[in-house]
Amino acid sequence: MKIVIAGAGEVGSHLAKLLSNENQDIILIDENAERLSTLDSNYNIMTLVGCPTTFSSLREARVASADLFIAVTPYETDNVVACSMAKSLGASTTMARIASYDYMDPDNNDLVRNMGVDRLIYPEYLAALEIITALEHSWVRHWFELHEGQIILVGVRVPGSAQIAGMYLKDFAHTNHHFHVSAIKRHHETIIPRGDDIIKDGDIIYITTTRDHVHDLLDLTGKVSHRIRRVLIMGGSKIAVRLANMAGDNFRFRIIDSDLKRCHELPGKCPDCEIIHGDARDPELLADVGLDETDAFIALTDSSETNILACLTAKEHGVKKTIAEVENIQFISQAEGLNIGTIINKKLLASSSIFQMLLDSDSSTSKCLALTDAEVAELEARPGSKITHGAVKDLRLSRDMTLAGLIRNGQGMLITGNTVIEPGDHVLVFCLSGAIHKVERLFN
Amino acid sequence: MKRLEKPLVNIAQLLRIIGLLMIFEGMFLIVPTLTCVYYGESDWLQFAATAVLTAGLGSILMTRIHPRTGYMGKRDGFLLTALVWVIFSLFGMIPFLTCSSPMILSDAFFEAMSGFTTTGASVFTSGAAMSHGVLIWRALMQWIGGMGIILFTLAVVPMLNHSGGMQMFNAEVTGITHDKIRPRISQTAKSLWMIYIALTLILVFLLWLGPMDVFDSVCHAFGAVSTGGFTNDTFDAVCYHSVYVKVILTVFMFLGGVNFGLIFKGFSGNFTAVKRNDVFRTYVLAIIAFYALFVISAIVRGDFHSWRDITVDPIFQVVSTITSTGYSPGNSHMWGSFVMALMLMMMFSGACAGSTSGGAKIDRMLFLFKNCRNEIYRTIHPNAIMSVRINGRVVSPDLVGKVIAFLCIYMLLVAAGGTILSALGVPVADAFFSAFSCMSNTGFGAEITGYGATYELLPDAAKWLLSLLMLIGRLEIFTVLVLFAPAFWRK
Repeated sequence: MKIVIAGAGEVGSHLAKLLSNENQDIILIDENAERLSTLDSNYNIMTLVGCPTTFSSLREARVASADLFIAVTPYETDNVVACSMAKSLGASTTMARIASYDYMDPDNNDLVRNMGVDRLIYPEYLAALEIITALEHSWVRHWFELHEGQIILVGVRVPGSAQIAGMYLKDFAHTNHHFHVSAIKRHHETIIPRGDDIIKDGDIIYITTTRDHVHDLLDLTGKVSHRIRRVLIMGGSKIAVRLANMAGDNFRFRIIDSDLKRCHELPGKCPDCEIIHGDARDPELLADVGLDETDAFIALTDSSETNILACLTAKEHGVKKTIAEVENIQFISQAEGLNIGTIINKKLLASSSIFQMLLDSDSSTSKCLALTDAEVAELEARPGSKITHGAVKDLRLSRDMTLAGLIRNGQGMLITGNTVIEPGDHVLVFCLSGAIHKVERLFN
Repeated sequence: MKRLEKPLVNIAQLLRIIGLLMIFEGMFLIVPTLTCVYYGESDWLQFAATAVLTAGLGSILMTRIHPRTGYMGKRDGFLLTALVWVIFSLFGMIPFLTCSSPMILSDAFFEAMSGFTTTGASVFTSGAAMSHGVLIWRALMQWIGGMGIILFTLAVVPMLNHSGGMQMFNAEVTGITHDKIRPRISQTAKSLWMIYIALTLILVFLLWLGPMDVFDSVCHAFGAVSTGGFTNDTFDAVCYHSVYVKVILTVFMFLGGVNFGLIFKGFSGNFTAVKRNDVFRTYVLAIIAFYALFVISAIVRGDFHSWRDITVDPIFQVVSTITSTGYSPGNSHMWGSFVMALMLMMMFSGACAGSTSGGAKIDRMLFLFKNCRNEIYRTIHPNAIMSVRINGRVVSPDLVGKVIAFLCIYMLLVAAGGTILSALGVPVADAFFSAFSCMSNTGFGAEITGYGATYELLPDAAKWLLSLLMLIGRLEIFTVLVLFAPAFWRK
């Protein structure tokens, strides 16, 4: 697949590297020659210096023959204009990164499409969704559900006191038929486990199950589910505003920001929230706003380090759920090790939407979740595809993927070695980075 | 968990890829084997044995070694590229050692390295009976080396189509920056090789029309497009008498000196890119200017006897020198010292980067001149902000610095090489000329200075040294020199 990416910022270059690893043809356009030169000499991509909103640059990138055009410059208007131009030059599908809800409004769908923008990436919106899920299921790190919860994948950190800590996976599987341990994240590495792997203290395990059995997991992993009501947000960023607008009815938000000017703007943008001006790293201020009575603490400032530290402080004060925005991908594993609840990363969220698009370009129902070095995807088995040719254990799948569960006729079930996948099944696949194109081939 | 200590270089993976490349060399060796069989020569056995040995060792490396990870970094790329060229020469020389007119070790290695680096300097004395197999193998070596061993592998093996392959591409392809013409490295390599193969086939056909027999056409097509310049005994005779052959060879040597990425653009109809390309324009202008000086020199000296002496022959000589091919029209020794000096200048500059030619490349000359012009201007207007523009794009000062460093090291290496050669007892003029000739991959024989007809008379140590210079010149200095830097081997 030929993909043209406009904008070599953080999201753009992350996507370029990722998609190049997935064996796609990537052309990356940016105006900054220096930024491109390091990418060009180190990655298997082609770069082009030029402005993404000029016809000449787009022609030079041969947009006309591109299967996908992704505009991820920092400016929403540039992205929309670039997509519109690319579409008029003949790009098959265009995708623009946006920064306001306006484009996503269902009333404007046709208008946006008429402008030549087929798909939208709105990382702040996705981040807000992710945070809401995390607040609703406060005991998990990740919560990924298909078909209204017929199949649920949860990521949980295993405390030493949990029942399953120290258990061999094969023993676990013998006694518990309703769970499928899809992956284990240990330190910097994600493992697709086999029967003789042990679950250790401090691992983050990804377990697939059906709706009826999710609650059994609480006991197994030694977790308690809390109901979250009072939420303290540090940093009045775009994500915070989006979040307040989407979930203002269910939670009571308080936003702390150190920028006075921004504080004055915030009440207009999110009317139901309480706005406090001050530095959220200041313990006195935190005590003053009632950190001890807060159920959840969300750190959304621009600095990943500040967010991580602030969440650690909040944990010390007994806040039950903390969520940090961490934009440096290298920091994510560290932050996960530090027992910060959920981690939000805009780049990973953006890549989820791209992967979803790559896997299933003609339907928007399937879901996809990008983790630091693995992907979870929902795929529909096509008639005649390789995956339907026999029982799972006989398919000789490569070791960097696992099939976790499936939905057949609206009913969720887990997959064992003897399961035969039928055309039309929606399958939940967990695969390590770089393997998603293999998965795609299996299903099409 | 303890993190696995990452080694400096991924040796297992390197050996595996080297194994793979050796299998390819073994396959290339089938060509001379079949040639020998066709001509009924006894050398077929030697070639077949070498092919089996090379491919056999290669497959052992390939199948027995299982690297823990396929990761390849910058260091791996440099080391692998340099090693591959040495290993190719080592195995490529085996037939020379064992053939019906055997050579000694230093000669054979020199000849093989000269072939792969498209230098075309030869230790064969003319008149020695070489089998057709040896001749075609020499020509084929140039042809493989011209576009690049690594580039060939990148084009045909999907295994290397990742960032590790990227590092090897950077280490082998000539030029200051490496323009990709397609999004993935394997596609770029494929396109470049397709053009290369197409040019070669066209040339074989045109030479055959010449008329030349098929065998000679193939040998010379390989030699001209790769700007290598090995010749056969029959060559001088055919070439000297046929204007047609000279003209055709001139055109294809010229094309061999053009950036293949640019030829690709030309082929795909993008002529504005060709027209706007400063380097290409300079290349053409340089050829015209040198030709004019040649003609003036010839007229002043009064040694032209026919129209050919001021038309076809000088232009053939100019193109052959500037593209570092090193074919000569047969009467070069008659042209006098001024022409010799011009030839030295052309050997230094070479043709466009990203072509099969050697030398320091016109791209770098252009950088140098534009930067010098800026510096001179700045002595009068110290506050002026000046930039170097190439192909309509401003080049960063870092890059200009890198180019100047390249040119300095280049000259230092030639000087050092020449000095060591004179210490080995080679006359000074010859010592410096051969060092220069090998470093720039031109391969003009010492014939020009009259020391001897070929490199055969040089001492053994000198041949090893020149082989090293050829390799450094072909891989554009940094790839080889970085291996000698202490920082390369330290964490």
